[in-house]
Amino acid sequence: MLELLERIPFPQQLDRIVIFTGLVAGALVTPIAIVLLALLIFDEITAAEVVFWLAAAVIILGALGAVLLPNIVHATLSLVIALLGVAGIFLLLGSEFLALVQVLIYGGGVTVLLLFGLMLTNAGDDPKVTDGAQKPFAFLVGILLAGVVGVALVDQDWAKTEVAVAPFTTLGERLFRDFGAPFEIASLVLIVALIGAVAVARRDRDEDDDTVEEGESS
Amino acid sequence: MNFEYALLIPEFILAGAAAVVLLADAFRRDLGISRRLIPAIAALGALAAGIASLFYADRSTDFAGLIGVDDYTLFFRVLFTVTVLVVILGSLEFVERNIRHQGEFYALLLVSTIGAIYMAGARELLTAYISIELLSFSLYVAVSLAKDDRRSGEAGLKYVLLGGVASAMLLYGLSLIYGAAGTTSYEGIAAALGDSAVQGSPVLLIGLAFLVGGLGFKASAVPFHMWTPDAYEGAPLPVTAYIAATSKAATFALLLRLFGTGLLPVQDDWQWMLATLSVATMVTGNLIALVQTNIKRLLAYSSIGQVGFMLMAVTTVSDASGSALLLHLAGYLVTNLAVFIAVIAVYNRIGSERIEDFRGLAETQPYLALVITTGLFSLSGMPLLAGFVTKFFIFQAAAEEGFLWLSGVAVIMSTVSLYYYLKVIRMMYVVAPAEGEEGRWRPSLIAYGVTGVLFIGIFVVGLWAAPVLEVADDASAVLFG
Amino acid sequence: MSDIPIENFLVLSAVLFGIGFYGVLARRSAILILVSVELMLAATTINMVAFAAYFDHEAFTGVIFAIFIITVAAAEVGLALGIVLRIFRERRTAYVDDASELKW
Repeated sequence: MLELLERIPFPQQLDRIVIFTGLVAGALVTPIAIVLLALLIFDEITAAEVVFWLAAAVIILGALGAVLLPNIVHATLSLVIALLGVAGIFLLLGSEFLALVQVLIYGGGVTVLLLFGLMLTNAGDDPKVTDGAQKPFAFLVGILLAGVVGVALVDQDWAKTEVAVAPFTTLGERLFRDFGAPFEIASLVLIVALIGAVAVARRDRDEDDDTVEEGESS
Repeated sequence: MNFEYALLIPEFILAGAAAVVLLADAFRRDLGISRRLIPAIAALGALAAGIASLFYADRSTDFAGLIGVDDYTLFFRVLFTVTVLVVILGSLEFVERNIRHQGEFYALLLVSTIGAIYMAGARELLTAYISIELLSFSLYVAVSLAKDDRRSGEAGLKYVLLGGVASAMLLYGLSLIYGAAGTTSYEGIAAALGDSAVQGSPVLLIGLAFLVGGLGFKASAVPFHMWTPDAYEGAPLPVTAYIAATSKAATFALLLRLFGTGLLPVQDDWQWMLATLSVATMVTGNLIALVQTNIKRLLAYSSIGQVGFMLMAVTTVSDASGSALLLHLAGYLVTNLAVFIAVIAVYNRIGSERIEDFRGLAETQPYLALVITTGLFSLSGMPLLAGFVTKFFIFQAAAEEGFLWLSGVAVIMSTVSLYYYLKVIRMMYVVAPAEGEEGRWRPSLIAYGVTGVLFIGIFVVGLWAAPVLEVADDASAVLFG
Repeated sequence: MSDIPIENFLVLSAVLFGIGFYGVLARRSAILILVSVELMLAATTINMVAFAAYFDHEAFTGVIFAIFIITVAAAEVGLALGIVLRIFRERRTAYVDDASELKW
């Protein structure tokens, strides 16, 4: 088991990265948390709002880190933080199940996948990335997009309703009965992704070439 | 709700055939199966699915309000199963030489056909979205499966990254429309949006813009077409043919059903977007095609130009333009496949995609030169051929709906397209073959058969469109009738 | 449950989407473009779940939609990484700009 671990090209700076990221994230979020707590104590805002603003701060900071940090590993870890913040938002919206799924799939699966991708492509050796020259343009587009969509969303006269908690039974019925057919299609999507990733990434010398095969088999 | 899974039998057959193909390929040596058997299984599966779908003729029922099993779906079930059958049969030799992992290749083609069919059949946004992803995922992989061709992986990478961005945009649009309408079923959306309070609101407009952008990407409409030439050039030829045929047609099937039913009440909000896209696509696609030297890139830009004409039909959505679009899709599929299968047969011989290397084809292989010429003439809209009739109906329907200027642009661009098609034709007929390549050669028997059938098909649609138009009318009546 | 207006969630999602879009345009590494796409998809799921929680109290379609989006997003990362690996093996790079045999 240990031998296997040693063979994985794990960049040595990873532990330092984790500590460093944690420190930076803490340093950024702590003041926000303190302000929010103060507001809560003075009864300016409710507990739910504290959670919302905290989660929002985590998401935005994480997202900014994911797109701005020059180090590719840092950026990926920053994405994880943002996506865990999204899980908090799901909790506020009454979807415990989704929050759970978000943590499991993003915190677990996708992150490991992305980090493995980084290591297999040796990005760990040279983690600095240069961004394209179109950065100012991209910045403008991003701001414009967020601004226009945000203003339109605030402008809309949404009905004043309360958050409803999605009961597990309802979700189960909807997912497995009403949306049975899309569920089956989604399973095909997963199969395609699985087979596709293997078929594309497999080395060519494993190719099942009949002539080579006959000579080598046994 | 009606949970009759039997309604989905044609797709079960396709999925089953894909599974059998995969297993047969994996255990080929243990079972002692010949390599030739794998495409045979795939072709049989496609054929069986096509025949099975005919049992659902004249039915207007649905699966749980998610998937309509009506004449519209039937039309595309038959169209897509025939397309995949043609691609499988027409590319046997090519696949054997130039594709890694043949079992996976055929299985992906079959599975992606399921996605394409449900894009046409979906009556609900979630089903439509997941079907789009099924088709796209299969294509991302299929594009990257070429053997010994570095362009293939690169094309796959660009396709998957841009496709992911487009999916995200599409989803954001869908989420805003869901928010505005409160439901995801097309009928529910139509009912909710009929209420004038939401119409023209910025949220809805932005949602529609994202939706049009995302779907425009899948249909490769300008300015969302960047991936198309690269994916077309990098992909193995049969995959290029398949993207040009099924992926386009499926996107338009989805567009027509969504915009023709669910979003019809807010027509004023999206009509100008589609009209703009249509003009931009027609003009850009046809003009850039003029300078291409690679036959795949030429066909890519020509197909972008064609997308402009199809967008025109969705823009002017009406009963007439609906059936005109279906007829055009059928004619376009037949024509495009004829050209591509013939080009594949030529490629098998000369091993090059450069238009230059097609020189003197009329002398060395007059039959394939004739098929390519007929197909290209049909694409440009020459009389007697499929392209003329189908385009005529679209232009007429657009003019009737008050979009005469759009028809005018389309006619001009059709004429422009003739120029670059003629470049290819000139290379084949006027220029002499290269030194040492003067001898006659013959394509495989199956290439003769497939191109022959498609060749006749071009003339059938061109000269005797009435029966096809009748079927298209029935299908379109489901939406507008 | 809470008295937070829906606009808060929607604006948060809009900002997240904008950041993701910026990343897509600005980044040149294939993996970082994927990261940015994940941000955009996360914005979409927030939207979907918010609309479901506030306006769709019987059906909760948005929550189901979010489940599908998360599934597809995870599958997409896997598939895209497979392709990135192939490119990397062929030319030792994971940069989009270095993969430029095909002219735009």
